[in-house]
Amino acid sequence: MLQTYLTTARYALVEQLRNRFALGLLIVFVPLWDWLIGALIANGSVGFKLQSTGQLFQVNGHDVTLLTAGFNAITLIVAFMIFAAARKNAGFDRRLVQAGLPQPVAIAAKVTAIVVMAALVALYATLILILFWRPASLTACVAIWLAYLLAALSYGALGLLLGVVVSSELAGFFLIIMISLMDTFLQAPVENPLANKDFLAAFPAYGPMQIAVSGGFGHGIAAASLLLSLAWFAGFGLLGLFIFWWRTRAWHSQRLAHAA
Amino acid sequence: MADTVIQAEELVKRYGRRTVLDGLSFSAPAGALIGIVGENGAGKSTLLKILAGALRPTHGQVRIHGSLGYCPQQVILNESLTVAQHLDYFRAAYHLADTVYADALIERLAYGQYRATPVGALSGGTQQKLNLTLALMHRPSVLLLDEPYQGFDWETYLRFWGLASELRSQGCCVVVISHLLFDQQRFDAIYQLRQGRLHPQTVAAADITNATGSAALQEVH
Repeated sequence: MLQTYLTTARYALVEQLRNRFALGLLIVFVPLWDWLIGALIANGSVGFKLQSTGQLFQVNGHDVTLLTAGFNAITLIVAFMIFAAARKNAGFDRRLVQAGLPQPVAIAAKVTAIVVMAALVALYATLILILFWRPASLTACVAIWLAYLLAALSYGALGLLLGVVVSSELAGFFLIIMISLMDTFLQAPVENPLANKDFLAAFPAYGPMQIAVSGGFGHGIAAASLLLSLAWFAGFGLLGLFIFWWRTRAWHSQRLAHAA
Repeated sequence: MADTVIQAEELVKRYGRRTVLDGLSFSAPAGALIGIVGENGAGKSTLLKILAGALRPTHGQVRIHGSLGYCPQQVILNESLTVAQHLDYFRAAYHLADTVYADALIERLAYGQYRATPVGALSGGTQQKLNLTLALMHRPSVLLLDEPYQGFDWETYLRFWGLASELRSQGCCVVVISHLLFDQQRFDAIYQLRQGRLHPQTVAAADITNATGSAALQEVH
């Protein structure tokens, strides 16, 4: 079973690494977007409401907008990567399961691909961010990586969910773009009349943004933000995997008989 | 008579008000080569998907004794992975120790030179060969083939029949579904799928279709 899992996870990752368009987008788009946003937004103080205290604290608008730009880029790219693979391989996955690949193994491999890609993309985005804004400490950098990772996990799981339910590739891409844009734009505090409103907590990027700003500016990480972020990952992921399981199940057991 | 390895009982499949299979029953023993022929839209692929367990019948049941190999009409492969990676992936799925037999199949079907090529870069015919290899590589007890030689050239077509005969002699029950069956003398039994049921096809009708089919093939190749 372990060997089967390792093989399945390896090919799930090989497939991700062969998505050259997504990788090219990652390599070019993240620094370009950070540079553009960094150049557009001037230094200046802006209020950001922390979930842990409920209080506004002042942060540099330029730095916090760079964080938002990173969220925007990585949520788009990770969701696109996972969506493209899930949608393209629906029939292939079904064939593998029919051939005898245990569904839990197929599901574990999908989760592994999301986690590994999310971790790598988050690491890359953090390293690029440091080129434009140097957080005060290594701990702050780790907090930003964690925040990016959590956002990438949620959007990777969203990509999987859309990949198993949306029939049109174009519709899936548009949904990813619209959801990511709306979500990450709303969380940005600079020149946003809706900034710091309570309803923002209902969006997937809220928890990661709280962790990035709070941890990135040396105020620690609230457990509630962490749990909220993981809840989005789990919610999208479980729903997507349930539908994947439903679609790939066979109508017989042990290859001996199948019946209505 | 050898033991029955595939048995379908009273299969009914409806899509809304349209009845595609209407109480179809069918069984075949080990080592049999069965042909199922039917016009376009007769429900051939629906029947094969139900036999393969990929589609649930509205009523009825299917019993497969032993392992199953299923070669779908449309190639179902992963464009990002190479031929060798496909074999390794399905080796894991079938819980096989190695790919020795799959490697032999690749040589038999003469596409060993593409082992390291991503499937997206292969021709349609070579993709179809891999599609077939993945259905055969675990030496199934029952092999279901949906239009298996679409896209094959004449040489590959002959190699396919060599393989099918070999599998039959090893006790594998091979079921071929096609809109037109060439070389009908190769089959142990041929059924026509008509009005949701299988009807044994007479020799005379088989000969007529065979003559037409062979002529068509000669023209192409």
